[in-house]
Amino acid sequence: MAKKLTETIIAKAEELFDQVEVMAGYSKGSNPLKVSPCFIEKKQDLDQLIFDKLCINNLATYAYRLSKQVKGNIGMVLKPCDAKAVNQLISEELIDRAACKMLVVGCAGVLDHQKISRHLGGARVFSANIGPETIEVETAEGKKELKTADFYADKCHWCSISDQDMGGDVFVENQQKLQAPKKDRFEDVKQLEKLDLDQIEAYWKDEFSRCIRCYACRNVCPLEVCQDQCIVHLDFPNWQSQKVVPSENKFFQLIRVMHLAGRCVECGECQRVCPQNIGLLKMMKKMNQQIETLFNFTPGMDVEAKPPLLTYKTVEENIEEEELI
Amino acid sequence: MTEQEQKSPKKEARIVAFLCNWCSYAGSDAAGTARLRQPENLRIIRVPCSGRINPLFVLKAFSEGADGVLVSGCHPNDCHYTDGNFYARRRLEALKEYLPFIGIDKNRFSYQWVSASEGQRWQKVVTNFVKRINSIL
Ligand code: SF4
Ligand code: SF4
Repeated sequence: MAKKLTETIIAKAEELFDQVEVMAGYSKGSNPLKVSPCFIEKKQDLDQLIFDKLCINNLATYAYRLSKQVKGNIGMVLKPCDAKAVNQLISEELIDRAACKMLVVGCAGVLDHQKISRHLGGARVFSANIGPETIEVETAEGKKELKTADFYADKCHWCSISDQDMGGDVFVENQQKLQAPKKDRFEDVKQLEKLDLDQIEAYWKDEFSRCIRCYACRNVCPLEVCQDQCIVHLDFPNWQSQKVVPSENKFFQLIRVMHLAGRCVECGECQRVCPQNIGLLKMMKKMNQQIETLFNFTPGMDVEAKPPLLTYKTVEENIEEEELI
Repeated sequence: MTEQEQKSPKKEARIVAFLCNWCSYAGSDAAGTARLRQPENLRIIRVPCSGRINPLFVLKAFSEGADGVLVSGCHPNDCHYTDGNFYARRRLEALKEYLPFIGIDKNRFSYQWVSASEGQRWQKVVTNFVKRINSIL
């Protein structure tokens, strides 16, 4: 199944390749549970491309950077949820629609390899055979059979994008349909909100006491195009000290939250790459939840839409101003 | 950081206020000129327009230990730059609703509209806001 899909993707990529200078896609990774992003500049190398349930990375992360680096067009293999990030970049006029050729692949859900590794207790994996129902792995501790449904990436549990929505320039249909069991998108947000304010503060203090300020969360985000020009690096004004303490680490994250308000497409990459396993995504989801209720806007769904914080209405139906008189 | 200080009770509330130059700053000035009594807990920062206020200003003030943050600008439709306060309203509303999620009582933050001639209104806004903060502390 995966083979056939990969073949179709390579064939479509070949058709598209004449229009682009570089093609970003997935290739084999450093171990059987990982895939690795690859950037193909020659047509004969296109056979490196693969696509399977391990393609969790959001290649839209490279969209902005590649579009600044290469003169011609860029091509990208994207899942529908990744295409959301590209759409958002287009709607903010950060990249040019015409210069970005999107090869969107219908998605049946992707697996979180970290969940699998954790389940296997970090045992070395020699081979993995991933099916829609079961995963057969051969590890240093012998063969094991796992249930695929237990290892989907969090975002797949609440995914509601229909493949056609994200058509792109070329669409490759996937015979398999999304199989991840449905879960509430805001479950973790609601859990935290049940606590009282002091407990919430303590929760975040504890989370951010682990943060090492590696900035991986920022660097992987497809929408944080500012990268090393981030205000945390400024001396004047000195937004943030370089001290790695919970309050400063939390403030760094709040900078991300504010800069992604109404922009974050909830791809989950920031949380995935965090080496300290900090629950970042709920911070982003909470802001998105509010943007949805206040302005009825979901990022990445419409390239024509104006980002909600870059526009206004003279009468805001959903804002109730507070009177202090 | 002043996290311990922030927690200790019975001290005077320290409030950071961001006021737009054209309406609210002039309004607070008018209150002063008219010798209207008002609490002294405010540290006022004058900004050109409420649209200049980055929500991160507010978060930074809280992170540095402010007990309350007050933002005030021109009434809707009266902005000196036509629409700065409309943008501000969207941002500040999103911020306000977010505060509880990071463990900050949303009553510690408010955004208000006070015009240059409304010295009395300013007096009421400040008095009530300080009262509210003191009741939380
Ligand atoms: S990736 Fe994690 S540890 Fe690194 S800066 Fe972000 S929150 Fe901190
Ligand atoms: S903030 Fe995190 S979830 Fe949102 S778009 Fe960026 S990497 Fe993805």
